[in-house]
Order: sequence, then structure tokens, then C-alpha cells
Amino acid sequence: MNLMRVWAIVIKFWFDTKRDMFRLFDVFWWPAFNLFVWGLLSTYLSKLSNGSVNFVLLFLAGTIFWSFFDRASRDISRSMVEELWNRNLPNIFSTPLTLTEYLAGVLIVAFIKLVIGSAFLLILAKLFYGFQISALGWPVVGIMAGLMIFGWSVSFIIQSCVLRFGHTVEVFIWAVTVLLQPFSCVFYPLSALPEWAQWVARGFPSMYLFEQMRAIISGTPVSPGDTMISIVLNATYLILSVAFFYRTFGYAKTNGLLTKPF
Amino acid sequence: MDRPFGVIFMNKIVLSAQGLTKTFGEPASTRSNRGEFTAVDHISFTLEEGEVLGILGPNGAGKTTTLFMLLDLITPTSGDLTMFGMRYRDDREKILQRVNFASAYMDMVPRMTIMENLLIMAMLYQVKKPKEVIRTWAASMGIASLLGMEYQKLSAGQKTRAQMCKAFLSSPEILLLDEPTASLDPDISVTVRKHILDAKNRGVSIIITSHNMAEVEEICDRVLFINHGKIVAEDTPEGLAQAVRKARVQLMMTDGQKRTIAFAKRAGFPVRANGRFVTIDVDEDDIAYLLSGLAEKGVEYRQITIDKPTLEDYFIAESRRNL
Repeated sequence: MNLMRVWAIVIKFWFDTKRDMFRLFDVFWWPAFNLFVWGLLSTYLSKLSNGSVNFVLLFLAGTIFWSFFDRASRDISRSMVEELWNRNLPNIFSTPLTLTEYLAGVLIVAFIKLVIGSAFLLILAKLFYGFQISALGWPVVGIMAGLMIFGWSVSFIIQSCVLRFGHTVEVFIWAVTVLLQPFSCVFYPLSALPEWAQWVARGFPSMYLFEQMRAIISGTPVSPGDTMISIVLNATYLILSVAFFYRTFGYAKTNGLLTKPF
Repeated sequence: MDRPFGVIFMNKIVLSAQGLTKTFGEPASTRSNRGEFTAVDHISFTLEEGEVLGILGPNGAGKTTTLFMLLDLITPTSGDLTMFGMRYRDDREKILQRVNFASAYMDMVPRMTIMENLLIMAMLYQVKKPKEVIRTWAASMGIASLLGMEYQKLSAGQKTRAQMCKAFLSSPEILLLDEPTASLDPDISVTVRKHILDAKNRGVSIIITSHNMAEVEEICDRVLFINHGKIVAEDTPEGLAQAVRKARVQLMMTDGQKRTIAFAKRAGFPVRANGRFVTIDVDEDDIAYLLSGLAEKGVEYRQITIDKPTLEDYFIAESRRNL
């Protein structure tokens, strides 16, 4: 892997982002908007329950942790779509740049955006709702990493579909988080789902990670079994999704999809 | 230096395509039922060091698909492609480090400036002192003052020149150019052609597609004519033009216009009159027969023009033949 070419991809996203106000909105405005909606709702519910349940902690932690999955998934998927919109794929892939180097650059950019966006959210949550993530301890780092990796896996699948089917499936970049959220049990336990949905939810590492988050918040022990299952599922999905993406890229080259107008 | 008699000098072959084929779609018998389409059909050619090879053909002939296969953007269905003696499956990075490409129909990132776009490209090719190199090429292409302008705000001609800067900045050994002077003003086209010829003189091997026949005649050493994915002719530009064999004789008549037309019709030559001018299409070999015949008839003319066939005549004739 050539680090200069990876760096070129990182710089490219910086050049492209700095002139686009809508992207800055995407990093700062929408997550903040979401945080305030849930923050206000949870404050209201906490008042209704006379403080017997800490809705603020549950909902804000859910919102912030979900943003790790959401951002990781969307940022990476969008990067590929924008290359297709700009008809830039023939330019960059007619250079010595490899697909692995391109993905490494995209992942670094997505990680930086995730760190900046999340830090902003955590500062807002601390300022407005007194939400202190450090009080939850080090295990939350594992949960965040798990959600980010699951977001990557989903984004590789979406990128593959966009590469294969074109803009008709572009909507999934935004829709996938909405589709997966109910099964990820972000704001409620697994037992709140109907029986059939519980079986579906057990297939997603995000469900186990949010169960762990609630266990940490409520001070109950984290299930080592759930932790292990989430790690195994995440690793499996990541390997399969990356393999699927490489295979689809090969398909796109075979069928001339990289050079077609999007 | 003169070449000694009997010794054949061959330049080094830097690119060899053998039986290159690209079929899109699936056989009609499969479930998708979209059918197959062969865009490039068993074409074979080589490119020598310092040679400019033109690829001509009507729209949809397979020229751009061929270029994309040479860039590893499209995987060939079959055939063998080597560049610098290497194959993409083993040495993709090494090959593409020595190749560059420009197309009038490709875009860069619209919100980024030309400098930013070119800087990224220079980094991908690991160009040393990239900003210096970019400024030099931008100046030579007449876009130095536009380096800070967003790509999306450029005219079509300015975009083409930015693409040409991108193609040259990595000092490639093989340069692939897809209609490099499309949408350029005539004076800028001259500049671009000069850069192409300078590159050739530095030993760069170039493959160029163009619909500008005068340009191809000026800069190409050899031309492949492709139609329906197949090479239908391969020769020098002059050689292809001569294959048409049709010349156009135009006479400004002073006496004997009717006799001239009658003679041409009897001989089977297409003829038309316009005022005092008579135009006759003949094979090159028949020019002498025509002129001596007219002399025997006592025809008098003040002026005679003989237009020899051009590459454009060949292009039109060949394209029509394969419709």
C-alpha cells in the first residue's frame, strides 16, 4: 500500500468538503438537531416519571451511539456515490491507485468526520443536558467501535449496490439506518420487540451493542456472551461485505460500469 | 544517421494487444435476455516507442472501449494485453505509473479548483514538486490564470486543457488521448497538437482517437480504422487516403462544356456542372485518360484543379460501406 496515494484521497475529500456548506450541515447540524429533539423529549419524560427513570441518559446515549453507526455508514457510501456523480472514477482508477488504497483513504476521512461530529455532539450533550460519557467508563469505546465497524460493513454493501445498479438504489444510503434502527433496539430492550422481530434483531451486532449500553447505564453486568456474539457477527459482516465490494468492483470493471455516465 | 542497407531497425514495442475482445451483456438465452453486444472484436495491434497511433472510426465503433481496456478500466472478455512487457493482472500499479490519459469527455471534481484537482492527480502519480510541475503545464496550456478557479466554472475548452495538463504532469511513457482537441479553439488546438508532437519527439508513445482528420494526418504515424469493433484497415494516414483512389477534377471551362459532360458520362465518371465549372470524380489512375480524351475533343479550359483523396474521404467511404 502506498501511503502517498492514500493521503491523496484524504486530501481530496478535504478539498471537496471545505467549499460545501451542505456537508458541514451534515456533520454538525443534523446530528445536533437530532440530539435536541431527543434531549427535549427525554427531559419531558423524566419530569413525567418524577425522575424514577433516567430517560435523558438512555435516549441521549442511544442517539449519540446510533450516530456512530449512522455516520460511518453514510459517509463511506456517499463518497462512492459522489465519485460516480462527478464521473471521477475513470480519472482516479486510471492512475496507480489501488482499490485498497482508495478504501483506506475513504475510511480515514470517515473516521475523522466521525470523531469531529461525535465530539461536537458530546460537547452539546454535556452543555445542555449534563450528559457525561466518561461516567460510563471504558467499555463504551468498544461499543462505539463495534457500531462504527457495523456501519462500515453496511456501507460496503450499499456501495456495491450503487456500483452495480446505479442511482436507483442510492436512496438506501439514507434509508438503511431507518430500516435497521428498529431491529438495533437503540431506545428499548430486545424484549420490547415482537417475537419474529427479535429473531431478526439477533442477526445484527448493533442489537447486542445497545443491550450492553443499557446494561452499563443501569449498572448491571455486561453479558460476555453478547459481547462475543457482537464481535463474531461484526467480524463476519465486515469480511463478507469487503469481499462483496471487491467482487462487485470486478463486476463493474467487467461490465464497463466505472466508465458509464451515472 | 542513415540506416545501413539490409538492416531492419525496429523500435521497441511498448504495447501489444492480441485478439482483444470486449463483449457486454449476457447471451440471449440467459434469464436477463438482454443479449450480447461485442464492442471490440478480436483486435490486434502494437505500439512502438515514440510512435503516434491514431484510432479512427465512426461513433460506437469501439474506440473508447479499446482505450478503457488499455487503462484497465474495463476488463477484456478475452485476448492478451501487455504494456512494457507486463500484464495488468500482475503489475497494474507499475504499468499505470507509466501511462496517462486525457479525454474531452471526462470530468474532474466540480467543486475543486483546477490546482486542487491536478494536485490530487499529481499525488496519485507521486510527481515530485507537484505544484511546480502543474504551474509549468498550466502555463503551456494557457490556463495558468485559471488554476484557482473551480472546475465546474470552466468552459468546455478550458476543461479539455485542464485534462491535457493532467495527462502530461506525470511524464508518461504511454499517453492515451480521447479526442484531445474536441471543443478547443483552433489556436489552442495548434498548441495542444504541438505538445503532442513534442511528447512524441521525447519518445512518448501515443494513442489518439479523433474525429479531426486533418489533425490525425498531421500527427499520426499510423492509423487503425475500427468499425463494428473490428480493425478494417491499418496504414499510414496517406496510405489510407490513397485507398479511396478517387480524385476530383474541377475544370473552369472556356469552350466545350457540353462535350466535356458527354465524354465524362460515356466514360462512366460522375459529373456535375455549376456555371462555368465542371466537376468530375475519377479514379486516380483514370486522370490521364480523362485529360487526353478531353484534349482529343478539342475542349478548352482556363483552370484545372485536382483534389487528391484525403483521410476524411476514406473515413466517409469506409463508414458508409459498413452502415
